[in-house]
Amino acid sequence: MSSDIKGVLKQLDEKELRKIAKLKKINIPEKWSKTLILELLTLNVSTKDVQTFETKPLGKKIESDDVSAIIVKDLVKQFEDVTAVDRLNLEIKQGELFGLLGPNGAGKTTTINILSGILEPTKGAAIIADFDVRRNLDEIKPIIGVCPQEAAVFKFLNARENIELFGNLHGIPKDELEERTDAFLELLGLSDASERKVKGYSGGMLRKLNLIIALISNPKIAFLDEPTVGMDPRARRKTWEFIGSLKDQHKTIVLTTHYIEEAEALSDRVGIIDYGKLIELGTPKELMEKYETKNLEQVFLKITGRRILEGI
Amino acid sequence: MALIEMELKKFIRQPANLFLNLLFPAVLTIVFIFAFADPEVGMSLNSVVPGLIVYAVIFVIMTIAQSFSIERQEGLLRRLNTTPMTSSEFMGSQVITHMLISFLQVLVVFTLAFLLGFRPDSGIQGIFLALPVTAIFSLSSVGLGLITATVSKTPEAATGISFIFILPQMFFGTFVPITSTTEQIAKFIPSYYLLDALTMIFEDDWMNPTILLDLGMISIVSISVVIIGILLFEKYGNA
Repeated sequence: MSSDIKGVLKQLDEKELRKIAKLKKINIPEKWSKTLILELLTLNVSTKDVQTFETKPLGKKIESDDVSAIIVKDLVKQFEDVTAVDRLNLEIKQGELFGLLGPNGAGKTTTINILSGILEPTKGAAIIADFDVRRNLDEIKPIIGVCPQEAAVFKFLNARENIELFGNLHGIPKDELEERTDAFLELLGLSDASERKVKGYSGGMLRKLNLIIALISNPKIAFLDEPTVGMDPRARRKTWEFIGSLKDQHKTIVLTTHYIEEAEALSDRVGIIDYGKLIELGTPKELMEKYETKNLEQVFLKITGRRILEGI
Repeated sequence: MALIEMELKKFIRQPANLFLNLLFPAVLTIVFIFAFADPEVGMSLNSVVPGLIVYAVIFVIMTIAQSFSIERQEGLLRRLNTTPMTSSEFMGSQVITHMLISFLQVLVVFTLAFLLGFRPDSGIQGIFLALPVTAIFSLSSVGLGLITATVSKTPEAATGISFIFILPQMFFGTFVPITSTTEQIAKFIPSYYLLDALTMIFEDDWMNPTILLDLGMISIVSISVVIIGILLFEKYGNA
């Protein structure tokens, strides 16, 4: 959500906010306060919606700006005799949703693990919001959110307790944390199950919770490693919409996925990596034009398939 | 605080944890007191209760080793590493939580033993003195649990490896009385000093200068082991 939209929404009274929610087909319980409705809407409203509501015009749709959020320079990660990331170079702009694609074992997760400070690079540099991942992890951790590939949640806690635990570790004030938790649970359809122990959750529910935990701290930069894997098509579609709405909040998002249509629908740019090397980079449209294909999946298959055939 | 609260919820909500750490020591306390605490067979309650306390605390090794191995396997430790929490906050919360659990175990043993007739010669003072000594000793269990988790690749391996540290402590004095031969080996095992100290405390012999040696050894060994455990786990076990 850009500060422009948030500013406009803040000027509206509760009744008007409820009307916008109705327009967006979001069910808002009667007891919800204006703050909570605002919080929910800022996660889910695009500039177009606000314009539809005939508030003051907001100008152009939010695009990524020219400030770099992530810079990766000659990054190498070596595990004994395996080079998982091989001289990777990338620059991701602030507010950009960047899709990182590649076959299994291509080095996507290793790259994300380095960028989020879980792994130390063997060589090269990675800069997150002007901070070096080797030296400034204490400054990086408060501004990032990580949704790991596995659903890393405490099974003996319920969803609310899991979210609040991670929110507390990020130092979010209690009231704000409660409101954000309610808003996220509602948005991703977990409200009814929020008091149930996570142990009994389905794979899709665990994935949603995994994603909420990554975003509860309202991070400037989010690393989403296959966030929709294992979800049924409906839940996946809903989650895509949710991830898409994060772009409006001007967050920088690095998304890895095996669903190429997900990357095509959501990403401003995509990078395709294989054997740890970046082999293609561009907007989905640019890549489709370059490879003369109708969709990104065909581009992906052409590139990675060709490499297999050529034995690269 | 958030992590301590979470760890305590984990302790309470996982039946296996409750069984191993509270119910099992409680059952053993009842069985041992009825079966062995008979002056005619040469064992008084004053000598049985220290063994039960040591037993309860050394099983924390397994609880910690399993807990860390499971959390590492499920990617939770990696996830916690991406939050602003520092590693000393994380380790501090683990140490405090498991000291609290040990404290709870000792309370269970004391309460049951008291109900079954245990009256230390040193009176209630003896029990109050035994609690902090046991709390310090519990640090060694935390440290050994972390060392076990560091070298174990899976939770199953952690269970097995933890017995390398548990069994010697169980059989050199805790369950099996020490003989003059086994005493030489037992002196290399931290629980020996806790057993000795607790026995002296309960027998109202705590002005005995030997107790200072015991307390010194318990403190030095426990603090050293927990520091080694933390360092090893942070370097090799936390990913």
